[in-house]
Amino acid sequence: MIDRGPSSDPIQEIMRRRLTRRSVLRGAGMGVAGFSLASFLAACGTDGGTGGGNGGNGGNGGFDIAEIYAGEPGSTLNFANWPFYIDQAKDENGNVYNPSLALFEEQTGINVNYEDVINSNEEFFGRLRPVLEAGDDTGWDIIVITNGRIFTALALNDWVYPLDPARRPNFDAHAATWAKDPFYDPGNEHGMAWQSGITGMAYNSEMTNGPITKLDDLANPDKVGMGLVGMLTYDMPDFVMINLGIDPKTSGPEEWKEAAAWLQMQKESGTVRNYYGNDYLDELRNGNLSACMAWSGDVLYSNIWLGYDNLEFVFPEGGALLWIDNMMIPAGASNPVGAMQAMDFYYDPEVATMVTEWVLYMSPVPETQQIMLQHADEAEAEGSKGRANKLRATAESPYLYPTEEFLAKTSFGRSLETDEEAAEWDSIFLPISQT
Amino acid sequence: MGQGGVSGGAGHRTLGTRRRLVPYGLLSPGGAYLAIFFLLPLVLMLYTSLQSGGVLSGGFTFTWDWANYTNVLSAYQPQFIRSIEYSLIVTFVALLLAYPMTYWIAFYGGRWKASLLLLILLPFFVSFVIRTIQWKFILGDNGPVLGFLKGLGLLPDDFRVLATPLAVVAGITYNYLPFTALPLYVALERIDKSLVEAAKDLYASRWQAFRKVVWPLSLPGVFAAFLLTFVPATGDYVNAALLGGPGTRMIGNIIQDKFLTENNYPEAAALSVILMIAMVILATIYARILGTEEATRAAAAA
Repeated sequence: MIDRGPSSDPIQEIMRRRLTRRSVLRGAGMGVAGFSLASFLAACGTDGGTGGGNGGNGGNGGFDIAEIYAGEPGSTLNFANWPFYIDQAKDENGNVYNPSLALFEEQTGINVNYEDVINSNEEFFGRLRPVLEAGDDTGWDIIVITNGRIFTALALNDWVYPLDPARRPNFDAHAATWAKDPFYDPGNEHGMAWQSGITGMAYNSEMTNGPITKLDDLANPDKVGMGLVGMLTYDMPDFVMINLGIDPKTSGPEEWKEAAAWLQMQKESGTVRNYYGNDYLDELRNGNLSACMAWSGDVLYSNIWLGYDNLEFVFPEGGALLWIDNMMIPAGASNPVGAMQAMDFYYDPEVATMVTEWVLYMSPVPETQQIMLQHADEAEAEGSKGRANKLRATAESPYLYPTEEFLAKTSFGRSLETDEEAAEWDSIFLPISQT
Repeated sequence: MGQGGVSGGAGHRTLGTRRRLVPYGLLSPGGAYLAIFFLLPLVLMLYTSLQSGGVLSGGFTFTWDWANYTNVLSAYQPQFIRSIEYSLIVTFVALLLAYPMTYWIAFYGGRWKASLLLLILLPFFVSFVIRTIQWKFILGDNGPVLGFLKGLGLLPDDFRVLATPLAVVAGITYNYLPFTALPLYVALERIDKSLVEAAKDLYASRWQAFRKVVWPLSLPGVFAAFLLTFVPATGDYVNAALLGGPGTRMIGNIIQDKFLTENNYPEAAALSVILMIAMVILATIYARILGTEEATRAAAAA
């Protein structure tokens, strides 16, 4: 059982409050002054490894799946994930552990070293890149990467192993349609969804002039006030395009400029407080933001489980951005067989429910909804009505279990495939936040 | 000492050589450390700054790509200028705050001098980032300071400090104040108090005694404090990232973005090289204009 009613440890709650997935204070990473130098050294140090620099290009590195996944799983599994992105509980001695991982260890005998070391795709990738370029083992067997530029770079350069389609029976049986064969990864060749979520909007009903419903509200000082809107730097290009009626997936520089023009207009309207990487949530909770772009799980958790009644998550009229965080196996990993086993383990509906009840993002296993409702009934039978209501609210949230109709109004972001494209994209969008 | 000579089996000649080698021996651990952790990264930075390529095409290769420099120079001029502006303001404000404070400690601190100095250093015992994040809390739109003042009706409801240049400059000033205070203190402490008395004996007013005696004697400290504050403050990125908003980004933030968001290592390196060269040039000009030889030595000593 997962212990996360209101009765669970207050310290744990507070910690979680400050550091949810993605809303970890960026500062923590930046503070280590030596870090940039160290990674710089690392980044430069192995440059020679690629020789011509195009050694890995083309994605035809000739990995042999039979060879990669030959033999027995190794005895340990190193799993890198985002902070607070897996179920947690406390044992009798008060030590925090991850029940689903403990179950995996019990079933397989594989010892899992799970670390929440990923605060940003780009930053984490920046640390692995020199090792991958040199063709060495990164030390991780599973990493979790969002669909987008870094995912593409990993797949394109053979910096991740192809997955073995024969080793994922749970995935085949239980994965949601949106998790199977995503456009950025045909046939799930390189990744399997860990969790997914929606970038929409959130607002503080005590600070806005009426409900916020559409993108243009974020540029309307009469609705949101001056200097009180938070924008998400990574997500805003795609998010704005979707809300302008442009499909990001097929967009080109002309459409990008259109979105940039909207963002420029918004900046000139004076509503923007800042462009955030991942530290917007505290600002929203502290009343420093009246409205912002937001990730579904962050706001749902604040609203349903922590009782921030003044915060609302909004699915904008024009649509929202969908993203998927994917489990991948870095090339050179020492335990790919164990990694494959663990990845499929998380597609067991019972196991998937353990995670989703805790993280409140979109589970790639739709059956978790029924199990969660079952848990709600059980909780009610045991007399904890508050917990039952929260579980029910969670299970019935369209942001965890979207309908087809709802999904039709979301879109994935643009997948940048070449450096030229990426450079053009950056040159159009970065000047907006980099001022 | 002597034993070395004996075991070497030679006379005073070897001993002389030894003596000459001693300084180098003393220098070598620090020298080696700097070579590995300063010179090597510096060379790698220069090397990286001339690479081209991208993460989607398999990585970066060295191609003498000078365009990295011209690109970033034209694209990020405003942020360079802003960084230097902020840093100059910070340095002057920090000097204004620190000078009277350290003057008082040096001249009137008495037996409390050491404790008072420790108080100045006290913030260093807490991480830089944590302190800056606390600022965010203290200065929050409805935080303890602004919330209180707004409650009293002294400030309009939409007044804010966070996400403005004021917050960034104030944050940097606070964070670098000890760097300003310490060299000032060292210089002021060294001043022979009897010189001030002598000035007064010669009918100098308090002001004249300060202007003609204390101020000139403290100049090496001012010089060192200026450099020690100005140079790191220009490259600071934590304050602008945590306390700033649109229109307050400094060059350090751009370098960080290039490195961690865009994964554009060559341009990040080129910006770093430019920043470093600019700092060296500015410091040299500054030393030429203001620096006496003594001041330069004091700066080096500090």
